[in-house]
Amino acid sequence: MRYPNLLSPFVLNKLTLRNRIVSTAHAEVYAEPGGLPGDRYIRYYEEKAKGGLGLAICGGSSPVSIDSPQGWWKSVNLSNDQIIEPLARLAGAMHQHGAKIMIQATHMGRRSAFHGEHWPHLMTPSGVREPVHRGNAKIIEVEEINRIIKDFAAAARRVKAAGMDGIEISAAHQHLIDQFWSPRTNFRTDDFGGSLQNRMRFGREVLSAVRAEVGADFAVGLRMCGDEFHPDGLDHETLKEIAHEMVSSGLIDFLSVVGSGADTHNTLANCMPPMALPPEPFVHLAAGIKAVVNIPVMHAQSIRDAGQAERLLESGMIDLVGMTRAQIADPHMAMKIRDGREDEIKQCVGANYCIDRQYNGLDVLCVQNAATSREATMPHVIAKSGGPKRKVVVVGGGPGGLEAARVARLRGHDVVLFERESTVGGQVNLAAKAPQREQMAGIIRWFDMETTRLGVERRLGVEATDAMILAENPDIVVLATGGASHMGQVAGWGAASGLSVSAWDILSGRAAPAQNVLVYDSMSTHAGAGVADFLATRGSRVEIATPDVKIADDVGGTTFPIFYRRLYALDVVMTPNVWLDEVYREDGRLVAVLRNEYTEVQEERVVDQVVIENGILPNDQLYWALKEKSLNHGQTDMETLFAAAPQPSLSQPLGGGRFLLFRVGDCISQHNIHGAIYDALRLCKDF
Amino acid sequence: MHSLDHLVTLFFWLAVAALAFGTMRRARLWRAGAAAPFNWAQLLTVPRRYLVDVHHVVARDPYIARTHMLVAGGAVAAMALVALNYGLMLYRPLLNGALVLAAAVMLGGSYLVWQRRRAPLPRLSAGPWNRLPYTLAAFAFGLLALALLPSALLSGFFAALIMLALLAGTAELVLGIGTGGPMKHAVAGVLHLAFHPRAERFAPRAERFAMRSTALRPLDLAAPVLGVEKPTDFRWNQLLGFDACVQCGKCEAACPAFAAGQPLNPKKFIQDMVLGLSGGSDAAFAGSPYPGITLGGHSGGPEEPILPALLAPETLWSCTTCRACVEECPMQIEHVDAIIDLRRFQTLARGALPGKGPEMLGNLRETATQGGYDNAARYHWAVDLNVRQIRPGESVDVLLVAGEGAFDMRYQRSLRALVKLLQAASVDFAILGALEVDTGDTARRLGDEATFQAQAVRLIATLSTLTFGRILTADPHVFHSLKNEYPALGGHFTVLHHTVFLAGLASSGQLKLGATSETRTITYHDPCYLGRYNGETEAPRALLRQIGVRLTEMERSGLRGRCCGGGGGAPLTDIPGTQRIPDIRIADARATGAGLVAVACPGCTAMLEGVVGPRPEVIDVAELLAAALEGQA
Repeated sequence: MRYPNLLSPFVLNKLTLRNRIVSTAHAEVYAEPGGLPGDRYIRYYEEKAKGGLGLAICGGSSPVSIDSPQGWWKSVNLSNDQIIEPLARLAGAMHQHGAKIMIQATHMGRRSAFHGEHWPHLMTPSGVREPVHRGNAKIIEVEEINRIIKDFAAAARRVKAAGMDGIEISAAHQHLIDQFWSPRTNFRTDDFGGSLQNRMRFGREVLSAVRAEVGADFAVGLRMCGDEFHPDGLDHETLKEIAHEMVSSGLIDFLSVVGSGADTHNTLANCMPPMALPPEPFVHLAAGIKAVVNIPVMHAQSIRDAGQAERLLESGMIDLVGMTRAQIADPHMAMKIRDGREDEIKQCVGANYCIDRQYNGLDVLCVQNAATSREATMPHVIAKSGGPKRKVVVVGGGPGGLEAARVARLRGHDVVLFERESTVGGQVNLAAKAPQREQMAGIIRWFDMETTRLGVERRLGVEATDAMILAENPDIVVLATGGASHMGQVAGWGAASGLSVSAWDILSGRAAPAQNVLVYDSMSTHAGAGVADFLATRGSRVEIATPDVKIADDVGGTTFPIFYRRLYALDVVMTPNVWLDEVYREDGRLVAVLRNEYTEVQEERVVDQVVIENGILPNDQLYWALKEKSLNHGQTDMETLFAAAPQPSLSQPLGGGRFLLFRVGDCISQHNIHGAIYDALRLCKDF
Repeated sequence: MHSLDHLVTLFFWLAVAALAFGTMRRARLWRAGAAAPFNWAQLLTVPRRYLVDVHHVVARDPYIARTHMLVAGGAVAAMALVALNYGLMLYRPLLNGALVLAAAVMLGGSYLVWQRRRAPLPRLSAGPWNRLPYTLAAFAFGLLALALLPSALLSGFFAALIMLALLAGTAELVLGIGTGGPMKHAVAGVLHLAFHPRAERFAPRAERFAMRSTALRPLDLAAPVLGVEKPTDFRWNQLLGFDACVQCGKCEAACPAFAAGQPLNPKKFIQDMVLGLSGGSDAAFAGSPYPGITLGGHSGGPEEPILPALLAPETLWSCTTCRACVEECPMQIEHVDAIIDLRRFQTLARGALPGKGPEMLGNLRETATQGGYDNAARYHWAVDLNVRQIRPGESVDVLLVAGEGAFDMRYQRSLRALVKLLQAASVDFAILGALEVDTGDTARRLGDEATFQAQAVRLIATLSTLTFGRILTADPHVFHSLKNEYPALGGHFTVLHHTVFLAGLASSGQLKLGATSETRTITYHDPCYLGRYNGETEAPRALLRQIGVRLTEMERSGLRGRCCGGGGGAPLTDIPGTQRIPDIRIADARATGAGLVAVACPGCTAMLEGVVGPRPEVIDVAELLAAALEGQA
């Protein structure tokens, strides 16, 4: 028995979970208008059920009340009976594959924004504004409290009526219940404020109402925080007391414990720990809570692999492991653990593309898996083609080229992959050089292993020429040649004369860090902040300047705080709102001329090195060399591509010099890792 | 030349006397063994057992079959004629004519023996066996000359020469039994056939196929000696069986432990038992020694403990109980029974079981599982498959008994596939679930009969509270144990191996199978406890054919398949050799060009998957079928 704990069944109330692997509640941003789970939503969870998990808790932050807005994150709306039918379909889909399904129910209180939808007046115990969501809110009144308690019960009735397996009430991430708990947000003097007993009153009444509604045999859980990490907030000891009280009420069947508050940008970054944090950074908080309760404790936060999960269960710290992002990356993770195919698991690296999109109000997508949440059109398991076996030549071993090679190989074709460097990975290898970003390499590790396992003929260290490609007598050529640093955009940067170097030059080691460095970042992605961190960590004095409104402006809500923690700690000067006009040499040093976007005033910096991150220009030489020789003149039919249908050009006879030419990823125009992989998957799945 | 004829008559009766005396002497050694049923009438079974059962094995090697037919046939006919013509002093020329024919046949056979021994196979013993072609030829030549040549032509010298040849040949034939020479096998072999410890082996063919007589006998746990400590603890007919060995080495060539360089050679093992019976050192053994153990270091006697003076413990614990030796033995010797008898004493009386064996036995006694697991965890793999748990008072057609493999994640894949197939075929089945305890099979192979019987009694008690039609298992060891060994302890069940059951479902159309999508070359590895122990080699092959697999067979397959190394508790005792048995088996598979080895046993799966480096994939038949279920995406 390799994973005697992880794969052992677990009983929650009357439910038997087939193993301890849970997908915990998260905002999916997939619900249809009105907050109803639709086809996409159900398929997303069904894929995890097929993949073998024990329990999924869907619908992170699903509101029970009409005045807790759901539109911001397209969350599931539990506030009316329309939800019953789609939830029933979801439950049916999950049960068919042996998995259990619950949903989280909550009232967000102040944790939202007033504008949009019904323009409600948000409510919170003492009217304290929530900074992350700019949640201006009124002081909640007792009548409203009583109504919301009833709303929770009504929502629980709907969940049970739909045939779901349980309900999780959220008192984590500063929702209304923990807004009552926290001394940071509750200054009331009535029965709902003051003493801890009073502050717990609302939550206790919610749980009582829910239990009274669903009866003793329906699983009810509570998600709570283990420490808010705010001096004026709830600390671990207080939360232990709260946990003890909530559990001794006998109203709940399990606790789900997470670490960190979430109402500031910096604490929010802890909640879904990005790659910079150590593995399972907050499990001790869950273990602390478990020490004072007599019901099962669930915990999710950077538990990414089976060995780690087994260790946490075996040590008795927790009873159920949330592996949520892990299963966004690979919904078949549980099955692969069970079936001894662990090497085939696409492991979450903590890039947080998923959650960072969510905080921008965008649907959750995985940086490395383009099929996740696109189950209707994009397969997680690539079936063999029933058509002719083809010779596919892929040029470029970055994520796009690797995905193209992998998918084409799984379709049953002979695949040759050319990569100029001696290792695959492309730009991701550079991204992984930045401090605390090493785990980006994990994305490539999987592709590297998979393309090897599947028997892609990989020609590493070979720069493909058009003659070499044609000599393979290909049926299909996929170019994934990426790009090169775009340094020539402004002549005054002096890149051609060596006055400035690129971020790639620094990360790759081609240029050594100098003493005083100006990093000019016109992109505001992870690359610019990463290279500034790289330089400062190695002892350079660094200023990072950008024309955007803030440094790393295009880095999402759980990741930019990590850069900021590091850059501030390293005394990196952050200068937004400036353009770099010119670099020139004077007295053996470099002068960089910056111009303020809003005042047009120029200022100069005397430095030893100017490092520019200005994105990439596509490498398209091969494309132009092959375009006219190809049957389709290099054109991808967008109608069919966007419809996830096979390219019409594939129906022609190929071979004997007749070949199709396609491009994916940055060699067309700069996208990102997900974009390159998605390009490759949607194109090659029909080869 | 009446005097010569009379001389022959005299010689004949002297020879008869020598043979009788020698046989009596040898019989005294056998009779020192423990009691076993005896009935003179069993001698009547010999012709049939010889001509059918022995011939069936010998005929696998046509050369030696022909050779033996000529030599032995000629010799027996010639001796009968001598007995008639000279023994009874008839001296009829006509009988001499027949004698010429018989002697000529024997002479021809002797030539073939000579040919065989010019470049002997390594498995053959040398030493006294090398003189056989000459002494046999001398006997045949002597008779030929005696019967053919008119006595007038015989000079005194020539007559003396003939008599010498006859004397030498006769000495070989009649003194062997008394002195332990090669021809001992003729007398001991005939008697062994008559008084064989497993008379069921010689049942009519159809019956024999259903019951291959491979079950171990229960040990009386109240007996003064548990198992065999010294040679005289063997039953007398076992001792007789050892004496039947012709040292042909077919067992040696089939033994997986010998091939892996582990210190076991079944031929030498039997010869060591002969040494124990008659006393002496193994220095004169003229065959391959136990790998890694030099000759001359071991000796024994009838009342001496066999281990360690005569037999090293490593030899005893190297056996995988695969029965390849028994399957190959033309003399129908029961090597594995002897091994188990010895193990019983070592484990029960001496506590001398090596390696991880004692740990496993401790686990069994304390948890009823070999690995020390929670019995309730045995069916964790089925928790989401919507399968019925059997309960007293509820009847079900098929009861699934998973075995120890159910704790192993790898084998859970096979079990899940099996459940999928049963559900697809709408079989009325339930699992034994947390009620299941280990069959005790591995304990039994390691000599711990006490733990085996305790487990069996417990499992039989559990099963007897339940109402089911048949037992289904995917583990051939569970299958063998429940089907063949439980009846002696009062457990009478209909037991089916999953390949047999599924083959039935498939042929009746209840299980609808499509074509496999496998494009790799596939070979099938026969589990010993399904194939050799139970004769079932066809069902898995039929199933594979049904899904469109064209099997590429390994050289050693079917009843003569090579062991994976996992039987008999060998993975627990883990006696080192120069390589591992599963490595050899995977090499067998590789030699066929197979990319996939189909299996039907959790033990084989674990052993073959334990082979490191690139190797064919190992997949249970059930998994291949589940992937080929009709309507499967």
